Amino acid sequence: MAEDLNWAIGGEAGDGIDSTGKIFAQALSRAGRHVFTSKDFASRIRGGYTAYKIRTSVDEVRSVVDRLDILVALTQRTIDENLDELHEGSAIIYDGERSWEAEIPEEMTAVDVPLKSLAEEAGGAIMRNVVALGAACAITGFDVEYLDESLEKRFGGKGSKIVENNKEAARLGRDYVHENYDLDHLGYDLETTDEDYVLLNGNEAIGMGAIAAGCRYYAGYPITPATSIMEYLTGRIERYGGHVVQAEDELSAINMALGAARAGARSMTATSGAGIDLMTETFGLIAQSETPLVITDVMRSGPSTGMPTKQEQGDLNMALYGGHGEVPRFVVAPTTISECFWKTIEAFNLAEKYQTPVFLVSDLAMSVTERTFSPETFDMDAVEIDRGKLVDDDSVGEWLDDKGRFRAHAATEDGVSPRSIPGTTDGAHMSTGLEHDELGRRTEDTEVRVQQVDKRTRKVETAKEREAWEYREFGDPDADALIVSWGSNEGALVEALDYLEAEDVSVRVLSVPYIFPRPDLTEEFEQADDVIVVECNATGQFADVLEHDTLTRVKRINKYTGVRFKADELAEDIKAKLKEEVPA
Amino acid sequence: MSSEVRFTDFKSDKQPTWCPGCGDFGTMNGMMKALAETGNDPDNTFIVAGIGCSGKIGTYMHSYALHGVHGRALPVGTGVKMARPDIEVMVAGGDGDGYSIGAGHFVHAVRRNVDMTYVVMDNRIYGLTKGQASPTSRSDFETSTTPEGTKQPPVNPHALALAAGATFIAQSFSSDALRHQEIIQQAIEHDGFGFVNVYSPCVTFNDVDTYDYFRDTLVDLEDEGHDPSDYEAAKEIILDADKEYQGVIYQDENSVPYGEQHGLTEDMSDIPEGAPEDAMDLVREFY
Ligand SMILES: Cc1ncc(C[n+]2csc(CCOP(=O)(O)OP(=O)(O)O)c2C)c(N)n1
Ligand code: SF4
Repeated sequence: MAEDLNWAIGGEAGDGIDSTGKIFAQALSRAGRHVFTSKDFASRIRGGYTAYKIRTSVDEVRSVVDRLDILVALTQRTIDENLDELHEGSAIIYDGERSWEAEIPEEMTAVDVPLKSLAEEAGGAIMRNVVALGAACAITGFDVEYLDESLEKRFGGKGSKIVENNKEAARLGRDYVHENYDLDHLGYDLETTDEDYVLLNGNEAIGMGAIAAGCRYYAGYPITPATSIMEYLTGRIERYGGHVVQAEDELSAINMALGAARAGARSMTATSGAGIDLMTETFGLIAQSETPLVITDVMRSGPSTGMPTKQEQGDLNMALYGGHGEVPRFVVAPTTISECFWKTIEAFNLAEKYQTPVFLVSDLAMSVTERTFSPETFDMDAVEIDRGKLVDDDSVGEWLDDKGRFRAHAATEDGVSPRSIPGTTDGAHMSTGLEHDELGRRTEDTEVRVQQVDKRTRKVETAKEREAWEYREFGDPDADALIVSWGSNEGALVEALDYLEAEDVSVRVLSVPYIFPRPDLTEEFEQADDVIVVECNATGQFADVLEHDTLTRVKRINKYTGVRFKADELAEDIKAKLKEEVPA
Repeated sequence: MSSEVRFTDFKSDKQPTWCPGCGDFGTMNGMMKALAETGNDPDNTFIVAGIGCSGKIGTYMHSYALHGVHGRALPVGTGVKMARPDIEVMVAGGDGDGYSIGAGHFVHAVRRNVDMTYVVMDNRIYGLTKGQASPTSRSDFETSTTPEGTKQPPVNPHALALAAGATFIAQSFSSDALRHQEIIQQAIEHDGFGFVNVYSPCVTFNDVDTYDYFRDTLVDLEDEGHDPSDYEAAKEIILDADKEYQGVIYQDENSVPYGEQHGLTEDMSDIPEGAPEDAMDLVREFY
């Protein structure tokens, strides 16, 4: 049997699906196995199908696949929803004592476990999911003791009795399966290793990156799937002297964040969909007043309220072009969960070095997906903070005009002006969204207008030269076919390479985390016979800008079902695309 | 800055473009004097202004300042003060800015009770966009967009503030220079959100709510012997729609500002050069 195990638990929202899944994922991670999780959920709190899926292997796992080996089904719908991923060798754990009669396809192994009764025996019906975890351990040969630590982590706060009961529930589940089933034919024997992994999702990585980068102020308004960034920071940022405030709306959130940034704090807001729309007016103000601010957009399906709990990469145009007038900005889009951490740090540095808004664009799939990493992936000693041209009482003098006024928007050669924050002696000045002169005073003078527009544009040019706007490369560097991707598709794409390789299809993959400025791919495009741009939207927003950059027509793979790409599916899509004609 | 701060230190060298006679001159002078009188200096003061004639105030004053987008001055001030408890924050704007487009923020800024001062230059008209109805315009006041009046009652900002749990509610008149300055000073000294609605006449577009009108009708609450700590009396004054008054209407002497409630004492602009020392603990949480 393959070492690559795909496990899921599904039921109704409110059934504790998430926490059960997480307990198992953490146990696997503690056992030194790699884990990649994904979630199916609907936009409702109780009721409605929801599932937590885990793919685990001793090798690194970067994506989901279309296969389920073991399913804990708390409802019939869980089985129905996943029929196309279940296969002959799949085992389905269910509770035959409960009122629903499971309809399980004959060729699969039905594992009927009295989850509720065994849970009651251990101390309460509420633990039936943990009994199911014990049963899953029995099927896979995974030592139930690995669960203990995650149970302690999950229930430790509720007292040792609860923890002990849960441990007992898991053991009852395991023993029941051992006593009543002979599952040797399934042939699992999950390997463990000595590796110590950490398990986290994209939003947690963004929050952790923000704290590492010295973010002290976060203002936000709850919206799926951005809220968990705020929830992560709440209760943690205070330890470092920071503060999280829940604003009355997104207009307020971004303006509060702007105020804190103007006052000198590293500051951030995050939102999604409709929230980004509301913030747009302030984008221009941030750019015009040259305030460093990180604005995170965790994309979800639009337009309007669209499908709030579903994946999409539809806001690229918004991030690139949102706001009236011409707004200098940076747009950075992490491609992996670990990049969510590192790019967040980079976003804070870019914001302060160039005194502009930085859009950190992530997506729903990345935000809810957890993955294992070795802890060194997040090496805090490697974190560098660059506050740019921040002046203090001593250096402010260089930037005063002959009347002793601070030249906050000095038209320097690199376009970057000095920045003084409140409290700096002689640094007082006005910041405004109005066009202004070097001192920040309103002007409509044509020459000064041009000077200031050029100055602001110049700092982006400077950044283009000074910073490394790289991409990451996978696959065969000499292949004729070139695949380009942005955002969270990278994982599925890299795994798709294995499927393609098995069929002797060789491709070169570029994963691009910088949307603006972005690497110049002209040469790469010229070298390739075929270029395919992969993204989760219907129109191909990234493909459009790349065609524009390189004056080359590209093929497109677009998925807008609301579900992220899967590795095996993507491999099929790529093969099909390669056969198509290049668009005229 | 030397310790001897004079109110002229808060003046910028930019000449105001307000119409001669505009009430905003007096409003601004009072603010500058009050800031100087309360021991602030421009390098430790932050003025946030909205959009409108009133919003230009940040340009004419000298301090750290931000002139933002229409209606969002209060959130900006909130961010500044939360990040920098050491800085004096004053937010200023018009009645349109504060009670129309920014009305939502107003209510929430009031209930948040951040320790800052909010000055609304109330001229009962939109000045900068040349004379449309504002939320404080009288229902029969004819303007370019409401030729037959608004036919809606004006908002009562003090009632909104009181309902939202305000800890300091006041009103002043820009041409009564001394009283105006005194009232702003009290707002600055208040521990919490100090809200002052200032009658600041628009001599160009409003020929009803004029200097003469206010001079004739204005009642000083101090002369009336009003006790600002008396909530019930404050309520009565605020709900009396026919009366124009100045003075501190309500002050909660037990006000605990947001910063104190949330333990915000640190200067958030101060961050280490790399990740915090114990940052690896953040990673270990994910074991
Ligand atoms: C989002 C937005 N809508 C409209 C405007 C146009 N605008 C500028 S000032 C103003 C009204 C100002 O009225 P008020 O706040 O009463 O200030 P005053 O000019 O009377 O001092 C409006 C509607 C704008 N700048 N931004
Ligand atoms: S239009 Fe009215 S409010 Fe504006 S400057 Fe003139 S008098 Fe003042």
